[in-house]
Amino acid sequence: MKIEIGDYKGLTVIALSGEIDMYSSPELREEMMTLIKQKISPVFVNLKDVTYIDSSGIATFVEGLKIMMRYSGSLKFISIPEGIMEIFNFSKLDKVFEIYRNIDDALGN
Amino acid sequence: MKDSAVIMIPSHPKFLSVIRAVTFKMCELSDMDNSAIEDVKLAVDEACSNIIKHAYKGDTNKKIIVRFKMTCKGFEVIIDDDGLKAQPALMEGRRLDDIRPGGLGIHLIKRAFDVYAFDDKKKKGNRLRLIRNRKGKNEDRDRRL
Repeated sequence: MKIEIGDYKGLTVIALSGEIDMYSSPELREEMMTLIKQKISPVFVNLKDVTYIDSSGIATFVEGLKIMMRYSGSLKFISIPEGIMEIFNFSKLDKVFEIYRNIDDALGN
Repeated sequence: MKDSAVIMIPSHPKFLSVIRAVTFKMCELSDMDNSAIEDVKLAVDEACSNIIKHAYKGDTNKKIIVRFKMTCKGFEVIIDDDGLKAQPALMEGRRLDDIRPGGLGIHLIKRAFDVYAFDDKKKKGNRLRLIRNRKGKNEDRDRRL
């Protein structure tokens, strides 16, 4: 998995690529917690190039969201591939996460 | 050994990608459709992750043995470890609409396999047997709806 933290129109975007599993999710958690400690919000997570996610990856996002909610922060997902979206739907994450086709759609909303 | 394969990995999370790759190829040989392959790959990964976390408590120097069998009835995966005994009664997982970290893996395993059973006869460690009954491609699709 690769993690790139960038900026789009002044907004923080975490762009992930590759496989998110029990091996790689601790690194993702660490990066997310660094942003969360700074109370950065919103944080956009771009999953366009993610090819795989397991329950540890899902748990990392859920944990991040729960902490961000304490300061009314928001975690927004963009460009989720179909196979990953299927797992989000199965896990009912589509009910709690803000999900958009792309960042411009998110900004339009 | 006909239509079967065995792989042994150390109980280190970096080897989960190897398990996934082998599972993927075995599913392909079993003529599953793509969505079924992804479900089974994730389920086997989750089962092995559970072993690392719960049976071996994060010890990365143990071993996990995964056996794949293709039969006329379906696809069978048998996973052995030498760790702490699993307690199936306590492995319900969280309610899916109770969104919190953890407790999801068991659901992901059970949605891919028709049989999820620990072998009581194994004295030391655990043997998990997973069986996915053979289905037509439309049945795979319908199962997901």
